[in-house]
Amino acid sequence: MIKITQLAKKFAVENPKKLSEQEKKDPRLKGRFFHSVQDVSFSCAQGQVLGLLGPNGAGKTTTLRMLSTAIKPDAGSVEINNVDVLRNPIIARQKIGFLSGSTGLYGRLSGRENIAYFGQLHGMSPQAISSRIDELAELLDMHSFLDRRCENFSTGMKQKTAIARAVVHSPEVVILDEPTTGLDIMATQTVLDFIRRLKAQGTPVIFSTHHLDEVDELCDRVTVIDKGSSMFDGDIASFRALADGSLHKAFLTSIGQVPAAVVA
Amino acid sequence: MWLVFLKELKELLRDRKTLFFMIALPLLIFPLIFGGIAFMTKQAIEKAETKVLNYAVIGEQYAPDIYAGLQQPDKFSRVELAADADFAALIRDETVDFVVVIPENYSSDVLSAGQATIKLYLNDAGLNLVYKRVNEIVEQQGELFQRAAFNQLGLDENQQVALLEPIVLEKINTADSRENWGEKIGGMLPYLLFILCLQGAMAPATDIGAGEKERGTLETLLISPIERNKIVLGKFLTIGFAGTMTALITVASMALWGIVLSQGMALKFVADFMGQIGIIDFVLIFLMLVPVVSIFAAVLLSISIYAKSFKEAQSYMVPLVFLVIVPVVMALMPGVELKGGWAWVPLTNVALAMKELVKGTMDYFQLIAIFGSTMVIAGAALAFCVYWFKQEKVLFR
Repeated sequence: MIKITQLAKKFAVENPKKLSEQEKKDPRLKGRFFHSVQDVSFSCAQGQVLGLLGPNGAGKTTTLRMLSTAIKPDAGSVEINNVDVLRNPIIARQKIGFLSGSTGLYGRLSGRENIAYFGQLHGMSPQAISSRIDELAELLDMHSFLDRRCENFSTGMKQKTAIARAVVHSPEVVILDEPTTGLDIMATQTVLDFIRRLKAQGTPVIFSTHHLDEVDELCDRVTVIDKGSSMFDGDIASFRALADGSLHKAFLTSIGQVPAAVVA
Repeated sequence: MWLVFLKELKELLRDRKTLFFMIALPLLIFPLIFGGIAFMTKQAIEKAETKVLNYAVIGEQYAPDIYAGLQQPDKFSRVELAADADFAALIRDETVDFVVVIPENYSSDVLSAGQATIKLYLNDAGLNLVYKRVNEIVEQQGELFQRAAFNQLGLDENQQVALLEPIVLEKINTADSRENWGEKIGGMLPYLLFILCLQGAMAPATDIGAGEKERGTLETLLISPIERNKIVLGKFLTIGFAGTMTALITVASMALWGIVLSQGMALKFVADFMGQIGIIDFVLIFLMLVPVVSIFAAVLLSISIYAKSFKEAQSYMVPLVFLVIVPVVMALMPGVELKGGWAWVPLTNVALAMKELVKGTMDYFQLIAIFGSTMVIAGAALAFCVYWFKQEKVLFR
């Protein structure tokens, strides 16, 4: 169970002159600060998959970075299984597995070494690491390339390794920031299978995406963020109900843009 | 912390590019370059010595003895010239290599004829041994004349010597050979060490900071349950280690190749010189390098983590080299000594102290000031680096 309430984050604007026209028009720009995330709340129970939707620049990545404790929120709270993670980021990090589409690997280390390094950082014993790697390699079918250097991996191999690395410590919550962006169809399938498996295990998964078909396929809940605030938070059925069954229209409705077809 | 250090080191050692700069370059390339230059110079000198020179002589009838000296077909070859020819033009178009003009008053009886000035026309730009080779012949003749004149005057041995050089100013150097050479070598040592340390630390620093950002591994590292300062320390140690190793390998390789290449006399000189510098002084030189490398590592890491990409980091680091060269060059300037204010100038004081240690004239009390001030700066740089590493605006630019 993960519960996020009224999360907010602002960034100082170093040089207001450098902002683009569009950024200057954004209502989130207030004086010397850009309020990237203003009010985001949602929750995700055991075994649920939550899809985080929103246009580019809506604040999805900032929200997920706050969840992963990479950056500190200015206000709001994040609770994982009733533990306030903001007060103790080190403990929070042990509970969270995080993966983004742009996550890289250490190219000069082998797949196994990459995964083991993070296992070590999580304070796992060498035996625990090696048995966990064997388990994950079996699950993700990685045995053929596990001991080769990562720099020569294909996108799919890299993504599998990155997934294994993210969950080596068996996290209580998994957060994925656009995990399928830039991946080919095979690699995307690997990620989706992986989410399904987590769901079956009862691990809550939060992932941001631009692909509504992924939402349709996997999600139990949907949260829509626009201009730093959550515009919709509910289960997939009520989201679909926003605009008679079409997810695209439902999305546009949720962010206050009337779909063109409806206007016509 | 050690976990991060060991992993970074493992990665570093697997990188061919870094290894090349750290080990291969100082071990093989530098000696090859220096050796190559020495070899070429030797060849050029040998060639100049054995080359058959074309010459013209004007007024040879006045000095048959000198003309006879030039009659060596394996060394000189005569070209006939008119007395009023344009010597400069002929030398320029390489018809002749030199022209000797002997004056009318040239005579073996120097007491009555006085000093004779033989003119030697040559192109003295560039390497040539024309003057040396002609002078050999002329000097030999001059000595003969000198002796003849002395005999004519009836001077004994003592008088002859006194007449040639009535007063001798004898220089007795109280600096021993260590101090003498230490001034020269010791001045260059910190220069070399500093630059090498910086150079050696630069490649891993870029990789470890900006490189992680560019590859997208930094964010994952930041959200792993390890405190930020431990990440910083691990990375910091790796950079410092790489810098120190590069410097040590280079110096060791230079010493080794120096011994291999130098022979006989020179070998003995090198061995004697090294023998005079005590183990403690060597250790002190190394110890002083530690806070300096720490400063470099902390500054490089701060730059690297701030940069968005490899390229950005590299362009920030280039000016740093110049910043380091300035204080070291100051230590090489005449009049700058390890006294008063200079003992507190960072980097300059360490450079000066290294020189003093090599010379063997170290005032060991100054070490406190040097170590103290350098450590404080290193500590401050590292503290800044840790603070810097916790700034969101730095990490997520």
